Amino acid sequence: MDKSLIIALLSKKMAAEATQEELEQLRLLIEKYPDAIYYEEFLQELWENNSGSQAPQSDLDQIYALHRNKYKADFTFHPAEEIHAGRYSYLHVSGVLLGLVVVALLCFGLWQHHKQLPTHDTHIVAGKGIRKKVVLPDGTLVWLNAGSKLSYDTGFNQQKIRQVFLTGEAFFDVSHRKSQPFIVHTEKISVKVLGTAFNIQAYPGENKSEATLIRGSIELSVNDQSGQKVILNPSEKFAFSTEKKTMVINHVEPVKIGNDEYIEETSWKDNQLVFQDETLEELKPRLERWFNIRISIRSDQPKHYRFTGVFKNETINEALEAMQLIKPFTFKLTRYDVIIY
Amino acid sequence: MPKSLPDLDDLKTHIALYDSESAYQQLFKCLFPSLYRFCFCILKSRELAEEAASDVMITLWRNRLKMLEINNIKVYALVIARNVSLNILNRNHKEELVSLDDIRIEILLDAHNPEQLLINDELKKKLEMATQSLPSKCKLVFKLIKEDGLSYKETATILNISVKTVDAHLVTAVKKLSTILKAEFNLM
Repeated sequence: MDKSLIIALLSKKMAAEATQEELEQLRLLIEKYPDAIYYEEFLQELWENNSGSQAPQSDLDQIYALHRNKYKADFTFHPAEEIHAGRYSYLHVSGVLLGLVVVALLCFGLWQHHKQLPTHDTHIVAGKGIRKKVVLPDGTLVWLNAGSKLSYDTGFNQQKIRQVFLTGEAFFDVSHRKSQPFIVHTEKISVKVLGTAFNIQAYPGENKSEATLIRGSIELSVNDQSGQKVILNPSEKFAFSTEKKTMVINHVEPVKIGNDEYIEETSWKDNQLVFQDETLEELKPRLERWFNIRISIRSDQPKHYRFTGVFKNETINEALEAMQLIKPFTFKLTRYDVIIY
Repeated sequence: MPKSLPDLDDLKTHIALYDSESAYQQLFKCLFPSLYRFCFCILKSRELAEEAASDVMITLWRNRLKMLEINNIKVYALVIARNVSLNILNRNHKEELVSLDDIRIEILLDAHNPEQLLINDELKKKLEMATQSLPSKCKLVFKLIKEDGLSYKETATILNISVKTVDAHLVTAVKKLSTILKAEFNLM
């Protein structure tokens, strides 16, 4: 009987599953039956053998290469094709328009993306001309700008990391949770925050992705250059150019128009469209989203006109007339289109 | 050497959040050997074992966001490996579904330790023959605990049995080996 017990205890000891009492018991038994020490020695030698069975590195490299080749479709990412905001299918979401942290990454591409991501079953969409403010299950405030979509999993608040997916533009005021980081994914860049207020802009079909930090601190990374991480300080803006693959960090200066100061990147959340010294061509996509209208510029000259200004509650007609005061052009306005001559 | 858990956690984050291929490559190199050996025990074919292990890894990649929820990637991967291997076996047996108890498992006692003092090649062969005659699950338990250094709980999860059963299987295996040793050295 004792012999069986010795074997049973030895097994546990070899598996590193023996309790202190059991180890003590074994020790006493070995004292009583000294031969048992041989069993332990042999077993130990047998057990230690497994460290020799490491496959040589070069073999593993080769095996990995074959594996990678076999499944190359899972690893090649195609940049999302230009999807214009107007073609979203709208899901019913009601909310106040308030932009919270601008997420400057167009995440729309995620739907069409070849990457395989788990389904996020909750979607919030702000159509063109619409801005929305929502509160996420964890208390984070999100302002979605026109032509944007925010997605997340219903269980997002219970996971170790809070994750959302954005296409378009949003301003986030993230609830601070020390042990539960918050990550915003967009097609090209990801932003990790602990509790902070920032803006991300990433519209599909545009060559840039931008993130502007207002408060707190965020860690940014470019999705397919995962080694590089950038930490932004408040009032800094990070811009990533898709085609040039360049990253630029700038300090954000408020824009002074009239007697007031505005922060161009985030003023939209207060229902103000601010622009400073931008050409009409540069302004075009912002105006299109803001007013939910299509703009085509028929002649070359107006494209290069530069404007500085703020639009608060103006209609497209009023906005264009105001711009006409600064630089001469004519326009024709129909329900959905503006043609500028 | 099994990669320590903190390292795996770091890789896990890089793969899941940043789609890092280089992190995936490292994870592959870390897990593949034990996945391969485990699948080989069940499938007994080098090709099938490679296919299965490769399958497990790509499954991890395809579901990488779910990885964040998993605490122990190695055990998770071995569970997938078990299922993948059984599926492969069942591919060829359309009639009855095969379970781990039915199949012949093959394990090897590794033979590459030059520092061996007590156990010579002869003895090693005898010990190997002894382990071969153990029942399937017993062999797998022995392999996972001895070779992969898994705990009772982890082994139980992978093989879908209780911790008590794991203990019983291990004792059976060790008993068998002791019998050989006793005969060889005339121990008590």
